[in-house]
Amino acid sequence: MIELIKKDLVVDWRQQNPISGILLYLASTIFTSYMAFRGFVSIEVWNALFWIIILFTAITAISKSFAQEERRSIYYFFLIKPHNLIISKLIYSFLYLIALAILSLVIFTVLFGNPIVNHQLFIFNLLIGCLGLSSAFTMISAIAFKASNRSIMMAVLGFPVIIPVLILTISNSAKILDQNIWSQIQGNMLTLISVDVIIIALTFILFPFIWRS
Amino acid sequence: MGYLLKTNWWKWLCMALLTYTIIGGLLLPVPKLPILNETIRVLHFHVPMWFGMILVFTGSVIYAIKYLKTNNSKFDIYSSQLANMGIAFGVLGIVTGMVWAKYTWGEPWSNDPKQNASAVSLLIYLAYFVLRNSIKDEEQRNRISGVYNIFAYFLMIPLLFILPRMADSLHPGNGGNPGFNAYDLDSNLRKVFYTAVLGWSLLGYWIASINIRLSLTHQKLENAS
Repeated sequence: MIELIKKDLVVDWRQQNPISGILLYLASTIFTSYMAFRGFVSIEVWNALFWIIILFTAITAISKSFAQEERRSIYYFFLIKPHNLIISKLIYSFLYLIALAILSLVIFTVLFGNPIVNHQLFIFNLLIGCLGLSSAFTMISAIAFKASNRSIMMAVLGFPVIIPVLILTISNSAKILDQNIWSQIQGNMLTLISVDVIIIALTFILFPFIWRS
Repeated sequence: MGYLLKTNWWKWLCMALLTYTIIGGLLLPVPKLPILNETIRVLHFHVPMWFGMILVFTGSVIYAIKYLKTNNSKFDIYSSQLANMGIAFGVLGIVTGMVWAKYTWGEPWSNDPKQNASAVSLLIYLAYFVLRNSIKDEEQRNRISGVYNIFAYFLMIPLLFILPRMADSLHPGNGGNPGFNAYDLDSNLRKVFYTAVLGWSLLGYWIASINIRLSLTHQKLENAS
């Protein structure tokens, strides 16, 4: 399993093309929105913009997670249990998304300023949100991998499914930026964590069925 | 399921219940509640749509699980046709809700969390059919759409039942608006409402069962030729 994660890292490192592509994608979307929104970025707008950009980065970055395995899939099929494969994919895409999210936070701070008061809470919410996004999109990318027009299917299948996670994280982080009182977001946070658990459990149970076909 | 496909007493029951619903729902006296007034009658035609939708989608998920367990393509037909019916219920639910909202809230779409959640759940199931159409191999299509069906259903539940309760909503039953608790006081309304739920659900099941039989026949013909 650890070797699988390592393999993903090595593949991404060697063919730098996708990584540099996604980094440039991130930078240029943030810069475009900086040009478009210059002058009226209130805290609410900052928050919404930040999450929208994370969302689009996540869907672009993670959609390759299974697409790049096309030639290796038969090899995996005989070698690795599907559970191990999906766990390593989940961990890898989570780490990948976290790295991208931290990076976009840095770029945001440079361009738009940094309205965050309570960093720990914000980062915690970011981690939980990214966990939900990355695992749901990993599952969707496994589903879309079998369909004919992958990139469109990824968006069509992914966006409606991700909305519960997205609503909860955005409202949480708006509250954190606004007043930053833990008791106010406690309920939301619990729901968010349980939605994450549901997503991961379903992915874990259902993935073998996709893999077999 | 097999038994219900063969008998038809429930079809007569369905017609009787719906006749009672339409006549009773439109003519029986209703309580005078502030804001709602006579529009409360939409209760018999709007709310049962959501009951029916959830029921039919639940059936669809159960058959998707059965399909993944047994690989019998009959269950996939059940599952997809029930989902089809669920979309019909959902569209009717949204339309009746919008008509009602036009008269009580002043506009058909007011960005209410419940409206948004139901629109998103429709998107999920429309995506299910797009997915089905985009996979050529039949067995692969059945299996993957089954997986997506289960995945989407369990994410739709928090969307429909938990999230709208956390935000303020104009919808009856939320934020101090008269809702189910007010209806409970009125036994007349309740009688018609329960009949309506049962009647509309049976009608949905009826339509779905015709579609299922049609698809099964198509499949048989294809296999024979």
